[in-house]
Amino acid sequence: MASITQTVSVRRQRFSPSSILRSVLGSQESVLLLALILLIVWVGSENRQFLATRNMVNVFAGNAYIAIAALGMTMVIITGNIDISVGSLMVTLSMLSGAISVYDGYPSWVSTDLTIALAWVLPVIVGALVGAIIGFIVTYLRIPAIVVTLGFLSILKGLLIIVSGGDRITGMPKGYALAQIRPLEDVSMPIFPAFFQTLTMPVFFMVILTILVALWMRYSPTGRALYAVGGNAEAARLSGISRHRVVMTAFILNGVFVGIAAVMNATQFSVIQVTLPPIELTIITATVVGGVSILGGTGTVVGAMLAAIFLNTITKALVFLDISPFWTRAIQGMLILITVLADLYRRHRQSA
Amino acid sequence: MRKFLTLILVLSFVVAPFSVLTAAAQDDEDRWDGADDLPVNPLPCGDEEAPAPEPKDYDGGQPVDPPDLAGEDIVLVDVPKLIGIGYFAATTLGQQQAAEELGNVEVTTDAPTEGNIDEQITFIDNYITRGVDGILFAANDPVAIGPVLKKALEAGIHVVGYDANAVPDAREWFVNQAEFNGIAKALLDSLAAEKGEDASFGIVTSTFTTPNQARWISEMWAYANECYPDMTWLETLEAQEDYNLSFEQSNTLIDKYGDELDGLFGMTSVATPAAADAVTQASLCGEVAVIGLATPNAMKPFVNDGCVKSVVLWNPVDLGYAAVYVMRAIVDGTLEPGDTEVEAGRLGTLQIVNGSEVLLGPPFIYTEENINDFDF
Repeated sequence: MASITQTVSVRRQRFSPSSILRSVLGSQESVLLLALILLIVWVGSENRQFLATRNMVNVFAGNAYIAIAALGMTMVIITGNIDISVGSLMVTLSMLSGAISVYDGYPSWVSTDLTIALAWVLPVIVGALVGAIIGFIVTYLRIPAIVVTLGFLSILKGLLIIVSGGDRITGMPKGYALAQIRPLEDVSMPIFPAFFQTLTMPVFFMVILTILVALWMRYSPTGRALYAVGGNAEAARLSGISRHRVVMTAFILNGVFVGIAAVMNATQFSVIQVTLPPIELTIITATVVGGVSILGGTGTVVGAMLAAIFLNTITKALVFLDISPFWTRAIQGMLILITVLADLYRRHRQSA
Repeated sequence: MRKFLTLILVLSFVVAPFSVLTAAAQDDEDRWDGADDLPVNPLPCGDEEAPAPEPKDYDGGQPVDPPDLAGEDIVLVDVPKLIGIGYFAATTLGQQQAAEELGNVEVTTDAPTEGNIDEQITFIDNYITRGVDGILFAANDPVAIGPVLKKALEAGIHVVGYDANAVPDAREWFVNQAEFNGIAKALLDSLAAEKGEDASFGIVTSTFTTPNQARWISEMWAYANECYPDMTWLETLEAQEDYNLSFEQSNTLIDKYGDELDGLFGMTSVATPAAADAVTQASLCGEVAVIGLATPNAMKPFVNDGCVKSVVLWNPVDLGYAAVYVMRAIVDGTLEPGDTEVEAGRLGTLQIVNGSEVLLGPPFIYTEENINDFDF
């Protein structure tokens, strides 16, 4: 596997002012970060309330579960596949997590703490299993991912409605609410202490997982292989990469991250309900706006995370600026369009 | 394959903004966001008696040569949308209570386990063949259920609907659980009781164009104009029927208006618990009142810990109870086309509205005292 790291070239840059500027504006991540900061400063100057601690926390926390799920989606799309079943899977796993926590038929030696631990961990394992099944069908049975995941979308939705009967889960035990924990509550950070004290668990999961995954995708052989398979499958094959294994890995990890996102989602609320909004679209939007090419081969999880935060910021910003909420979706649509067109343009120039 | 996908993706995102922009161009007069343009009919303020509704000609259907069973034992079948859920278990309970009180009514509930109109039709058809004196129903589809109900009427069987109507000429009467203006009044009165007549509030709805929600908001606007001129409507936000989004939008309203915000209205059974969740997690219980339409089970955690004082809906037990009383009244000849009211046991006198509908009365408010008695 060592040779792969060399065949997939790691870009090297010389440092000159113009090249730094070009690299800043040339990468989707830095453009997004810049846009995010400008947006927050602008809206804050228009409406002071926007910069209030609680709102700033909500800006980052609101779409954290989307960003976590986008980690997996990034991998899947980079290998040249797609998964449109993630929304249904997430809701299913949220319900599973809630159901485990409130189930009262456990033998007596199972303590509440163990129940809660199960409710946190089992959805992630089930997510990985579902990812493995999808990955197997996509790779070994050679069925396009969009078809397989469309099937899973329907299967999961149907199962969910039958099993839950449209009912909701309430009365989760104390201590279950993982997403409501504020890890830095008692720590006094030197800057913005109130902000850090109010930050909830999903933000920490989002940031730490994104950093880990970004490093893994950048430096590990398997991580690099994801790009190789999506960028040039033939070259990847010739350099000894097993496409099947790589795509399987992407789908299994996708299931894991959807599982984590589901637990974050379920533990955020006092009521777990079967609502089936098109989360998969939001996740794919975040991924694409984050600079992951829908043609596969390029993009990073950092971009996807920034895009998830950015999308949430826009939704909130429009309310704070008293702009009709009808614009929210219009602006999201335009953003996607611009990023996709920019991506196609970049590819065109590279190949020319 | 990939190029094709790209094309579809690009196209759909080009089209999406336009469809949204045309929607935004609509003129909204001075009504609150999320309200519709239909005529409004606000109820009188406070405890004043509602004026008698405009009489409308009876538009229900009539059974052909029904046997005269006045005062005699009757056998009824109840075919709700589906069985096995708490809501219809509650209507069944109400029917049994009414049957026991009356003493000369026997009612059995039998329906599919899924809310499926085809199966529901089969159930009703079987009971027509078997022969019953009356059919109670809650339709899965107002039009599709029409023919089989008409068949029942032709066979001389009395037909009364509740909860979900059929086309009027396919049943004799329909017990209407709540009218839009009644719900609107109950919501605003609850806010006034909790936060005063000068409260400022936001609304979390499904979408601005969802028919029921738009009707409720319209009636709330009309009622607030009449009865609470000092209340301030701050903003309505859309949240689809999405728990996460409802939670986020509630947070946005809380963050944007800060101390100014006295209350949040949830217009859907998803938005209301989500708004309560947002208020609870912001530690603003008591500061920001959450009032809304929701089912008791979703609201129990918040009502029991005191964060939510009033949940507005109707009482399904009373709904089933009223349906049996209406059926008994038809058979006994005490409720006839053209009447303006009907006696319904412990519920007292119920009004006839819209030609052939029996109005259950003002909505039911679930509070700490009663919410745990319900399971749906």
